[in-house]
Parts: sequence; C-alpha cells; structure tokens
Amino acid sequence: MARYVLCIVVCGILVTSAAPASAQVDLTGMWAPIFHEDQVERIPGPDVGDYAGLPINDAMRLRADTWDASLLTLPEHQCKPHPSTYGFRGVGNLRITGEVDDKTQQIIKLHTHIQWQEQRRDIWMDGRPHPPEYAAHTWQGFSTGTWEGNVLVVKTTHLKAGWIRRNGLLITDEATMTERFIRHGNYLTHIYMIEDPNYLTEPLIKTNGFQLTPNPAMQPYPCYPTVEVPREKGEVPSHLPGENPFIEEYAKKHNLPQNGVRGGAETALPEFVATAGKPFVAKPDAPIKKPAPVVDNEVHSLHVQGNVWMLHGGGVNAAVQVGDEGVLVVDTMTSGLAEKLVAEIKKLAGNKPLRWVVNTQVDPDHTGGNAKVAEAGESIIAGNFVGQAGQAAANFAKVLTHENVEARLVKVQPALPTQALPTDTFFTDEFEMHFNGEAVQFIHVPNGHSDGDVMVFFRKSDVLVAGDVFNTTTFPVIDMEEGGSLNGIVKSLNQILDITVPEDKQEGGTYVIPGHGRLTDEADVVEYRDMMTIIRDRIQNAINKGMTLEQVKAARLVRDYEGRYGAARGAATADAFVEAAYRSLKK
Amino acid sequence: MTRRIQVVAAAAVLIGSAIVVSAQQGGRAGGPPAPPPTPQAGAPIDLTGNWVSVVTEDWRWRMVTPPKGDFASVPLNPEGTKVANSWDPATDGSCLAYGAAGLMREPTRLRISWENPQTLKIETDSGVQTRRLIFGTAQLPAQRSLQGYSAAEWEIAGAGRGAPAGPRRGNLKVTTTMMSGGWLRKNGVPYSENATLTEYYDRFPAPQNEEWFVVTTIVSDPKYLNTDFVTSTHFKKEADGAKWAPKPCRS
Repeated sequence: MARYVLCIVVCGILVTSAAPASAQVDLTGMWAPIFHEDQVERIPGPDVGDYAGLPINDAMRLRADTWDASLLTLPEHQCKPHPSTYGFRGVGNLRITGEVDDKTQQIIKLHTHIQWQEQRRDIWMDGRPHPPEYAAHTWQGFSTGTWEGNVLVVKTTHLKAGWIRRNGLLITDEATMTERFIRHGNYLTHIYMIEDPNYLTEPLIKTNGFQLTPNPAMQPYPCYPTVEVPREKGEVPSHLPGENPFIEEYAKKHNLPQNGVRGGAETALPEFVATAGKPFVAKPDAPIKKPAPVVDNEVHSLHVQGNVWMLHGGGVNAAVQVGDEGVLVVDTMTSGLAEKLVAEIKKLAGNKPLRWVVNTQVDPDHTGGNAKVAEAGESIIAGNFVGQAGQAAANFAKVLTHENVEARLVKVQPALPTQALPTDTFFTDEFEMHFNGEAVQFIHVPNGHSDGDVMVFFRKSDVLVAGDVFNTTTFPVIDMEEGGSLNGIVKSLNQILDITVPEDKQEGGTYVIPGHGRLTDEADVVEYRDMMTIIRDRIQNAINKGMTLEQVKAARLVRDYEGRYGAARGAATADAFVEAAYRSLKK
Repeated sequence: MTRRIQVVAAAAVLIGSAIVVSAQQGGRAGGPPAPPPTPQAGAPIDLTGNWVSVVTEDWRWRMVTPPKGDFASVPLNPEGTKVANSWDPATDGSCLAYGAAGLMREPTRLRISWENPQTLKIETDSGVQTRRLIFGTAQLPAQRSLQGYSAAEWEIAGAGRGAPAGPRRGNLKVTTTMMSGGWLRKNGVPYSENATLTEYYDRFPAPQNEEWFVVTTIVSDPKYLNTDFVTSTHFKKEADGAKWAPKPCRS
C-alpha cells in the first residue's frame, strides 16, 4: 500500500506541475492573418514607388526605381516564394506545428507553413549552431529559436536576396532577421526586425497580427513556370536609371508628399510631418560597414549532394567528386593551401586514388595547388602515353583543362613544375567522361572571365562547378587581356541557367559551386545574372548616348549593387568592374 | 486506508499546485511568502522613459490626414461607414483623433512615468494628451472622457518546468472603457462610446543596443465595427526628451 501512496504522491505532483517542457506558451495551431495594417500593400499589392517610412538608403532606392514588374513574368522568377522577411505579410493562413523528441519531450523545432507558394520554414529549438557562411542560402533562411519568458525569439541567417516589399524593395543575401512571436489569448503578434548592411540605414521593424482560427484550411500551392511572354534569350526587364515613368504616380494618386514617399529613416519619425511636401533630396549613402568575411586559411568541406563536396578555403572554392573509381578534384586553390586541401580530400576519400585534377581557369588561386594535389594522386596509363611520358607519370593524377588554360599555364614564370601542368586538354565546346558512376561534362565558356574558362557538371549528383564565371562575393573580374568580356559573363550565366533545374519553388535541385563565395542554386545565379544584364544594359545605353568612361564612372551606374558586390580593392572594385565592362562593350 | 490515500493524494495535489504558483510568482519554496509588491515595484518590464513612434506601417493613414472616405483596412460596419463618409475635412486636427483608441497610432513621442505606485502615466506630445493606466481596483469615473478609464495589470510569464531560471518577464495588459468616442484615424473613421480598448505592451531589446516596445491594440466596438480592429504599434526608446515637441490638438 505504501507503494501505491508513493505513486499517488508522485503522480499528483507531476500532474499538477505539468507544463510544457520548454515552450512557455503554445504557438501551434492555424492562424489567420489580420490585415488591419498595410492592407492595401498586402492584399492587392504595393504601388510602384511607395517607399514611405522605410529606412532605405539611396542604393536601394535606385534598385527599386529601376525595378520593372515585368521581371516577374520570367520563368525563373515565377515560382519564387516570399522570403521569410516578407512571407508573414502575405495572404494565406499560417500553420505552426512542433516536433518533439520522444525521449526528452523537448521541442526540437517549430515548423511554419504559409499557404502562398508553400512557404515552409523550420525554427530549430535544440540549440544547434547556424551553418557556416559558405553554406547555401534559402528563401526562408536558417532560423533558431529561444524563449524569453513567454516570447519566442527567432534569429534567421542564410537568406536569399528577396523582398521587403514586393515593388522592387529588396534585401540582399547578407541580411539577417530577428523576430518575436507573442501570443495574447487568441491573438498572435509577430514582430520582425531586418538588418541589411547594404540597403538599410537602420533595422527595419514591422509587425503582423494573426488570430487563432478553427478553420484548418490549407491548400497546396503547386507552381510550374512557363514562358508567358516571348523574349530574346537572356532579356531581363528593368528601367534605366531616371527613366521609370511610374515612380511619381503613387504620390500623385493619393496626394502624398513626394519627399515622404521616397522613403528613408527620417520619413518614419514624427518630426517628418513638419517637413512633408518639401523637395526630396537624396542623401548620399554613408560608407557601408559590415564584418569582413571569415578567411581562416583552413580548408573546409561541405557535402553538396550525391558524390560531390564543396571545398572552401582562403576565400576560394574547389570541388571534389568521390566514388568507387577514385577522386576527381576541380581546382586546387593556392599553393599555400595545397597541403590542407589534400588532407581534406583524404579525409573525405580515404584511400581511394586521386585520379583527376581539373582546372576551370588559369588564375593561381585556382591552379596554385596543382602540383601538390597531382602528386598526391595516381593515374592509369597505358599505350603511347607511357612511351611519351614514361611509367613515372602513373605516380601523379592527370590534370585536365581547356587548351587555352594550358597555353597560359606553360608561360607562367617562374615555370611551374611538370606535375602542375595539364596532361590532358580539349579545344572543343565540351569534353565528357563517365567517372564514379556518373556522366561528367566539361563545358568551355569562352570570353567571360577569360577565354579558357571551364564549368564542370556532375550530372547524376546534379552539381555544377562554375569557376570564376560566377561568384557570390564580388563583381566578376573581366580579364580583357585574356579574352574576357561582360557579354561573355552574361552569356556564361545564362548557360548555367540552361543547365540548372530547381527542385521546387525556385530552390534546391541543381546546386552550383561558384569560384568564390557560398554554395548556391539557380535562384542565386538568377540574381547575379539579372544584375549583370541590368548593368550591361545601363552601360550600353550610356555608350550609345556617347558618354565617356569617366562620365559613366561619375554617374555611378552600379551604385545599387556596389555595397554588396564592390570589392574594397583589386580588380573587382566598382570602378575596375565598370571600366572593364565599358571597355569590353566598346570593343 | 482509502481515506488515508485520499488525504495523501490531496496533499500531493496541493504540493504540486504550490510549486506551480511559486514558480509563476518567482518565489522560493519553503521561504516566507513575499509581501505583495506595488505595481511599480513588481513591474516585470520597465516602460518608463522617452519613446518615439517609428511609422513603418500604415504610413499613408498616419503621417498625413487621409482623404475623406479612405478607411482601407478598418472593419467598419455600414453605420461606421456612414459616419466616416460624413467627416468634415475642416475638422482636421480635432482632439477626437487623439482619444485612447486612436492615440497610439499617431506619429508621436511618449513620456511614460509612474505618477504614483499604482498609476502609470503616458503623455504624448502629438495632441498633448495624458493617459493614466491604473492598477488595482478603483472606482470608475462618472463621466466618459476622451482617454476613458484604463485598468492595468501585469501579466507575468509562467516559468514552466524545465525552463531556465532567468529574469522575471511579462507584459502589461490595459483595458480601457468609459471612452467618449473618437476617431481611429485623422479623417474621422469613428469609434463609439461603446467601444472597449484592450492593449498589450511588450518591451524588448533589439539589435544595435536599442530598446523597443510594441503595443498590440484591440478595439471592440459593436456600434461601428464588424469585428475587432487589431493593430500593433512600435516605439523606440530615446535617451532623453530633447525632441519632445508638444503640439496641442483642436478641441
């Protein structure tokens, strides 16, 4: 009987003290959005040119002024969902569910689902860290949550470039967001603050209201892009700077002060009321402050999918494919990182033989480790090749590239060791092999970054290694001495888009490893391709008007992208890029 | 024996309940019960200081006086619509736009202070209004007024089992009645004397060492609204009152 009594005591305490193990309030359920704020923006959609109250800088203003809604008719834009920086403003119910660890009864994650374009998001509650900066970004970003009393606080990084208002006001992929979910009875207040060093002068704060609804309606939202408007391949609709005829329409239609509608942090404060109606004068943007990228001179690996890993070190990327036949390495980083690169490859591949080294181009940050990586490998050789190269050649991996790359590598002074030089070249548009159970295509993309660039496509793994025709860190380096051109860059980027196929909602599917920066998918390439095309069109228009290079530089035609992609020094500064672009278009 | 089990079980329930209450009140098991603090002393959040509204939402309806008949997103019923459409633009600037149900949507600075340990005072420079949020029981005023009668209470965040120990957290809930009616927007979008205003004030830190609070506002008005009118308005803390610029409304 004593045992029963003890049981009753314990059970009594457990029952009466039962409370959620880690969640202070229950946020799960179906929530209907309340559109009592910004309803006109959120349901019918915002007007072009309405930036009122938003802390945007002049770069973002130019970006939005030149945005053309026709962009959304391009197939690669049609199925983009709202990013999490905007999705909670949109239409459709919000469903919040939780996933609990059966053993600990701790919440592992909360999951949000918004109907429009099926915005699915995980908020990790288990304390896991955010991914490294070179990991892929997604529309919803990577979110972690903690409780502060009854308030769920969520921090989000790894966002794709996306809306803060769907009239061309965008944030870059360097933006982050902090949210608070606060439940009061059957109402949910969602507060979010977005920081973007490139486009916002201070954090943008907004709130959304939801009401718990017994109606569990949540419809699927399939989306299949199609050509809606026949266009020239690669055409990207945009307005030229200063030539958007619709910018002033919104203010005129509602009799609003133009200096307020043009936005800026000052337009959100009470003292603005006294200045409403004065002429709008854009303030020059302050220098952008953002943390320098982490370059730790270590080599890190990130599994992409299938047989392919991305290797990231010293600000440059390489790739490795591992399988039963051995190892294929694409690019070898700098000579200084070569040993660490080999060590990381061995960590991934074990004792599998390193058979192939492929160079996507000639620059030393992509070929510097050739000798050491090749020395770590071995080849299967036979026939005439043994006669030409000797049996010792079997002690090194083969080095493959386009013949234009080889032609430059052999001229490098001081001369490179033999092992660093290509053993195999091709001069056609494409070279292909079957290795490790999948087709591998080597695609020559001429006259972009240089005249010898090669992209490597692992067909079964569905991973494309782009080399320096695409990067996520800076404007492209157009090496005109080696045959590069802006039109070639644009063409190369469209060539990538011909290959990539997103899995769903313009996300996932084919992954693209850029020459520098983070792992990407089609949407990221689209963002970069759009930028390059828009800049090309602006500079070409300036050339057609007879503007000199100095005039084009003074006009700062790329200032809406400069904060995000302008390098601090070297060949990818805004000035250097504009000069190379101008000269290549003048040719 | 059955009776003994019942007694033990009841005791267990009581012990368990005591643990919950203790956790919710932040007390310590076994210690003497803490004397009930005054609302000021027991505040889980500090709302006092100088605050400024940052109008990133509904800009078109808050920073300027919207045109007559522009009441987008307010759930007016036919009677409310009729009243809104009868607004006289000559009355722009009227104090009716600064009643409790519309005041916090004004572009304004706030000065919040404890008038006494039971009364939190909110002053606005826009319209020069004063709201008093009164904790505890008090007698309702005999007359309706623009700011009405605001009953305040702290809502303390429950500390559930397994939740990490930490600072006391919570929010302020305010229920306002006895209002004389006014405007939800500057262009005469009405709320009636029958309206009830429920507000939740939540304070939080933000990036760049800023402090903010958001007030979630629910206006229930069976006379002019089809459904509750729900908005949330954010304010940023300022270091001082240097930018305080009183601008009276037109009575």
